[in-house]
Amino acid sequence: MWLAPVRQVSSNYDCSYPHMTALPSNLPKVLAIDDSVLIHRLLQVRLQHEQIQLFGATSAEVGIKMARELRPDVVLLDIELDLKNQGMDGFGVLQVFKADPDLQEVSVIFISATATMEERVRALDMGASDFVAKPFEIVELQARVRSALRVQHLVKMLAQKAQVDGLTGLWNRTYFDRRLTQEVGEAIRHNRSLSLVMCDVDGFKKLNDERGHPFGDKVLERLARILQTGRGSDIACRYGGEEFGIILPNTVGSEAIEVADRYRRTIEQEVWPSVPGMVITASFGVADVFVLPGTPTTEDFIATADAALYRAKLNGRNRVEAAVAVQLPG
Amino acid sequence: MRLSNDQTTLRSEFADDPDMVGIVALFIHELPQRLAAMHVAIAAADRDQLRMLAHQLKGAAGGYGFPKLGEAAALVDQAVRAGNDDNVIRSRVGMLAAVAARIRP
Repeated sequence: MWLAPVRQVSSNYDCSYPHMTALPSNLPKVLAIDDSVLIHRLLQVRLQHEQIQLFGATSAEVGIKMARELRPDVVLLDIELDLKNQGMDGFGVLQVFKADPDLQEVSVIFISATATMEERVRALDMGASDFVAKPFEIVELQARVRSALRVQHLVKMLAQKAQVDGLTGLWNRTYFDRRLTQEVGEAIRHNRSLSLVMCDVDGFKKLNDERGHPFGDKVLERLARILQTGRGSDIACRYGGEEFGIILPNTVGSEAIEVADRYRRTIEQEVWPSVPGMVITASFGVADVFVLPGTPTTEDFIATADAALYRAKLNGRNRVEAAVAVQLPG
Repeated sequence: MRLSNDQTTLRSEFADDPDMVGIVALFIHELPQRLAAMHVAIAAADRDQLRMLAHQLKGAAGGYGFPKLGEAAALVDQAVRAGNDDNVIRSRVGMLAAVAARIRP
């Protein structure tokens, strides 16, 4: 058996696939799906100097499974997959990708030895981003992979930008709504706890009027930074204006109250050098998802936490009020 | 096409590329097995298997620096797809084998 050449070939494919998640790398991921091991060897050598992690699958089924696990940035996809068994071809795989919200945005480069002009057009119409003919012109292949990665990077950046609040750097309302809906679903499905903390700066309008908007902005930025000092799993978002929403997965109401109160104290103790002696406070409303009757909706969840926040304001501000599960008598 | 009459030696276009040396050697080493598998497929009248083998070689040979081998494999692929009879297929696989025989490390 010939062993020497194989050593230089990375083993990120098919059989060794369970190990690949252990790779500690931020390099973009490229997944090649082709039924020919000859093509995989070639790609591994020809793309070895690119700043990428290359993975390979030799069938449509494994390719789809790996794509779901890896979330690759770019997929190199053979059109004539599985000629022998007349199984799913590259078009079929692309269709699966486009129907999967997690894989829709992946850049797919089709590779083919025989594709006619009609097939190439069909591939692009279905949402493939590029096309490379086999045998590869190496420089062209490398350039097309790089180009797909650049586009993918921009798409990701735009997607991220669209979800981040410009002033505070926290997740924005769009992200908050989407993520909370997702977390509520998960909590119901897996019977896991979930809490929501709504936070509003006390007397913010007065502060803005007296000190000016630049100072108000500074307060929001500082508070945002404090709200990010929580546990790693807490998801702090700017809900709007001077209101923040913090999603706490796997957290019961009583823990969430403690978290909120810690934030409250930290904010109260914050020193504002430009205004000696000034104290800024915030009020908090906490809700535990299991306090809601029936199947909780995102809207009800927010409304419940907001109602608790409103009570905190009514009861004197700079305090935490909560809607958490109570033991019914009897 | 007079591939079978040409006796000159074929070397990989990438024979001097240090990145490629290993997998080109492996490709050459495995080539007789691939051709043998084609003969087995013909004998077993397994056209799908034959087509896959020819198709893979057609797509890859050029990448290993053997475009002539890729062209010969394409003729096999074409004949299988066209449903040509065994004589045509055998003759084309024969031409492919003749090209393969000229390959040297």
